[in-house]
Amino acid sequence: MDEVVFEIRDLCANYGTHRVLDHINVKIKSKKITAIMGPSGCGKSTFLRILNRLNDLIEDFSITGQILYKGQDIYKIKELNLYRRQVTMVFQRPNPFPMSIFDNVAYGLKIMGIKDKELVKQRVQEALKKAALWDEVKDKLKKPAVQLSGGQQQRLCIARALAIEPEVILLDEPTSALDPIATTKIERLLETLSEQYTVIIVTHSMGQALRISDELIFLYQGRLIEYGMTSDVVKAPNHEMTRQFLTGKIG
Amino acid sequence: MKWFFRLTSYAVLILMFSVIVLIILPGVRYFFRPGFFTDFPRASMTEGGVFPSIFGSLILISLVFVIVIPVGLLGSIFIAEFSSKRLSVVLQSLAGTMNSIPSIVYGLFGLSFFCVNLGLRTSLISASLTLSTMAIPFFINSAVEFLRSVPKELREGVIALGANRFETTLMVIRSSKNGLLTTLMLTLGRAFSETAPILITGAVFYATKLPSKLTDPIMTLPTSIYAIIMNLGETARWMAQGMASMMTLVMIVIYSIVQILRRRTNG
Repeated sequence: MDEVVFEIRDLCANYGTHRVLDHINVKIKSKKITAIMGPSGCGKSTFLRILNRLNDLIEDFSITGQILYKGQDIYKIKELNLYRRQVTMVFQRPNPFPMSIFDNVAYGLKIMGIKDKELVKQRVQEALKKAALWDEVKDKLKKPAVQLSGGQQQRLCIARALAIEPEVILLDEPTSALDPIATTKIERLLETLSEQYTVIIVTHSMGQALRISDELIFLYQGRLIEYGMTSDVVKAPNHEMTRQFLTGKIG
Repeated sequence: MKWFFRLTSYAVLILMFSVIVLIILPGVRYFFRPGFFTDFPRASMTEGGVFPSIFGSLILISLVFVIVIPVGLLGSIFIAEFSSKRLSVVLQSLAGTMNSIPSIVYGLFGLSFFCVNLGLRTSLISASLTLSTMAIPFFINSAVEFLRSVPKELREGVIALGANRFETTLMVIRSSKNGLLTTLMLTLGRAFSETAPILITGAVFYATKLPSKLTDPIMTLPTSIYAIIMNLGETARWMAQGMASMMTLVMIVIYSIVQILRRRTNG
């Protein structure tokens, strides 16, 4: 039996009076790649952002229901920064900080208060290796991160997330701003990472979801339409809408 | 049609160029008079140098610098990062309004508030406080825009790594570093060249010694130019021309730095 990381119970989310997620019930398993997919505006990004409690910053955003992370209601967590170190997030557009490659990866460690230089160095190197970026940047760690290519920048952002040793990595369409070659690299990377981490990825590319995910969540207009192991869903979708999406009729 | 645009832009360029040349050239030669930069003026400003005015301007700008950086920076960070939407609208329009008040009005305000009400008299401190009152809204107006232009992704990227509010704000400042520096340079340039507010709050036409404390009056470059032109004849005019060239050159340097900063990415 797989361990459950997130248990979402009857989650509803609203921007003002506009409902974007409607009574979602789902469980997300540990050390798997879960893909959340659906057409634009189906609420998939909102869903992911809620898991990082990032939408707390938005005025007039509200949710009801419960999200349990390892049994703990995340909306009752006080030490939010400690939680976000366990459940961290990578964004659609690569967002390197205006500092060197090394400092980018070390940033999370710095704000955790790790001062031991050797340890930082070692963790940065490990993270860059895990993110399959080490060989490309090992000779220019002091160079500004903005000089890297888009695909490298995104892997740097993943390395930055890995350096703080999270348990869950949330990715919001991480390859939509990248070319096919960079996309392939990131997909390979995610597959390796899922041996150690729980990966939850939002994507609007059905191909990507099928290529890399173990579990699939399909949202449509804020409702959960389909949810299960990717192979099962592909073989026998329970819902007509999913079948249409899978065959490219909608989406 | 194209030739028309080309012609007008050349005309503007020539005009600007000639203004600069006509201001700088007549005065530059006086730089080479012995003691121009180092002496006190003598014989009713017909001989000697402009040292006390240079010194006064520098010390005034340094004080403005010291006041504007903390107040302006904290103010713009508060507006851009911490205040509610409604409050930030109110504060920004306030800063915008204050920014468009004529500088002589700031002078009057400074005269009645700092010089008289607070009893600071015509002094270095009155002048720098008046000048800062004017420079702070100028700084805030443009600094807020730079802070706001930091992409949302970057802000969220920092938060997602577990950064607290303070660390997030530091990253926002770091990402708009060049913009903030540009703003600071422009603010100092404005404070350096402003005449009216200091004319009636801190400047004197002639001082026999350099200011030794904050409550001493000062001589500055723009007010000395004004004083010479208004009160003295032909024989002292060269000194005003020399100072005018000097100020224009300083402004050119400041704006060149601004242009370089604008073109550089934050790295």
